[in-house]
Amino acid sequence: MNREFTEALKNEFGTNILDAVTSRNETYLTVKKEANVKICDHIYHHLDIPLISIFATDERKKDGCFKVHYVFSIGKGDAFVIIKINIDGKSPRYNSITHKIAAANWYEREIQDMFGLLPVGHPDPRRLVHFEDWPDGVYPLRKDFDIKTKPPRVEGEYVYRRVEGEGVYEIPVGPVHAGVIEPGHFRFSVAGEPIINLEIRHFYTHKGVEKLFENISLDKAVFLAERISGDNSAAHAVAFCQAVERIAGIDIPARAKYIRVVLLELERVYNHLGDIAGIATDVAFAMGAAHANRLKEEILQLNEKVTGSRMLRGMNAIGGVRRDIGDKKDEILLKLSEIQHDFRELIEYLMAIPSLVDRIETTGRIYNDTAKGLHVVGPAARASGIDRDMRRDHAYAAYPEFNFKVPVQKAGDVNARTLVRADEVCESIGLIEQALWSLPDGDIKINIGEIPDGYALGYTEAPRGETLYWVMIENNRIVRCKVRDPSFCNWLAIEYAVLDNIVPDFPIVNKSLSLSYSGNDM
Amino acid sequence: MFDILKKTLKTGSQTTKYPQIPDIAPAGFRGKPELLSDKCTYCGKCVAVCPPGVIWLTEEKGEKILTLSYCGCIFCGRCEEVCEGAIKLTGEYELASKMKEDLLTSIRRKT
Repeated sequence: MNREFTEALKNEFGTNILDAVTSRNETYLTVKKEANVKICDHIYHHLDIPLISIFATDERKKDGCFKVHYVFSIGKGDAFVIIKINIDGKSPRYNSITHKIAAANWYEREIQDMFGLLPVGHPDPRRLVHFEDWPDGVYPLRKDFDIKTKPPRVEGEYVYRRVEGEGVYEIPVGPVHAGVIEPGHFRFSVAGEPIINLEIRHFYTHKGVEKLFENISLDKAVFLAERISGDNSAAHAVAFCQAVERIAGIDIPARAKYIRVVLLELERVYNHLGDIAGIATDVAFAMGAAHANRLKEEILQLNEKVTGSRMLRGMNAIGGVRRDIGDKKDEILLKLSEIQHDFRELIEYLMAIPSLVDRIETTGRIYNDTAKGLHVVGPAARASGIDRDMRRDHAYAAYPEFNFKVPVQKAGDVNARTLVRADEVCESIGLIEQALWSLPDGDIKINIGEIPDGYALGYTEAPRGETLYWVMIENNRIVRCKVRDPSFCNWLAIEYAVLDNIVPDFPIVNKSLSLSYSGNDM
Repeated sequence: MFDILKKTLKTGSQTTKYPQIPDIAPAGFRGKPELLSDKCTYCGKCVAVCPPGVIWLTEEKGEKILTLSYCGCIFCGRCEEVCEGAIKLTGEYELASKMKEDLLTSIRRKT
């Protein structure tokens, strides 16, 4: 797949492609800096391949250059194509691709803030991660920025888009919210009840996670990955471990792969149950919320019994898993069959209540072309007719061995997102059953000593959608760890989902998208 | 409506009697780590592997002191894994306190 693809691109772009390296399912094509827009545009629009991440590295010590990587995912054929450009450290600017590919918007602004690489021609070059009190010319992910640096605070201003006209009101919400949730700013412009514009501003909780990765040892890094997005712990830990295992060129024991599937699917089940409970809460249907929350709690307690942690933490390690779950097999299977029965009954009740369905049908619609243009991922994408799932398209762990369906809905509204989640809960339970029924014997972990220098992608389909890690290792230390959480892709979709909806429906739309602040803002 | 009532009756009360009746954590739960002074060799392996860095080895007035803070502990169990029996993760989870000092534990030995 990769070879044909590379040849086709070479024929099309000739000398613009400087170098091609393939390892595993990843092909790295170094291209001329000036050719980035036309090559990315060709891959994205002509070949119809989604752009799933953009990230930079600071390799000035080696060759005086920063590199920007554009990651494209070819679902049919399980391949990744990474377009790489070199940017001279003395002239840190390159052409923006956002005017051609909307999904590049936030990545380019993030790189601008963290590496000081200027995307020339970006339609919205405001700061994204940094606040106005952060001084100019200080870029935390550059190698010459020391982790202990405390830059002085400066004066500055952030300009919001303004919607003006007779009867147009602005409703600013957050970043301080009434309640215990994370900080984010939502600026609504309304004409009466309907929302005519929403602008979100996030990144109030920047923790410097990617910098932190570069300053800790590999075994400790697994625990850091686990804590990036609290309720997607297993997905993050597995994605990180898989990236490192790919660099090391090792195949973990089959039993560990099966156990990872069980953990990842338990995580999906409890997240989806929690989201369905949240949607019921937001339409004020307390009975539905109580039952869905009760089922979620049962899974959390099951997690605790099986792994020693309600949030499935501390289970993954580079080389496999840390604890065997074989002896808990019967307990898990019994509990899940009870929960499945209970859950099916609950969904039937919920979907038969006209006052509930009326609130969620046609609410918060994300049209297919919007979802595609922003590269929305996970259940939100699948509810808008995008048939993508990393478990199937870039299969990892033991997923290739199991049968499961990828539920897809077309309507793109809260109802569709609820139905996708409900179906996914049942598919997940099916996957756990298959994994436990055929759990292979053998070790659960292999020891890996020194890890050779190299880089690789690691990826999982978290409950919120595709989670992507790109790890680069030199001398057994992480020199770059790029984390792309699904919420980084999905947050912008909420600006479109709420249009023409009424303000009272915002909480339902928000809940149905299940967006993470912490995962988005590292 | 009738269905909802039926479901409610079938589910019954799910609330437990905690804290009047203690809620015992299941076997294998990773809770409060405990230091056992008679087994500790003060080798410092736990200090090296602790991801959040909340275990310290210090020396004061001819005594070796190993201190652990429950404050930043993430209950990963790495210390227990590398130690030869002097650190054990227990089933205890009621760690909330009003004073940070209450969340420190230490063992010491004369050098």
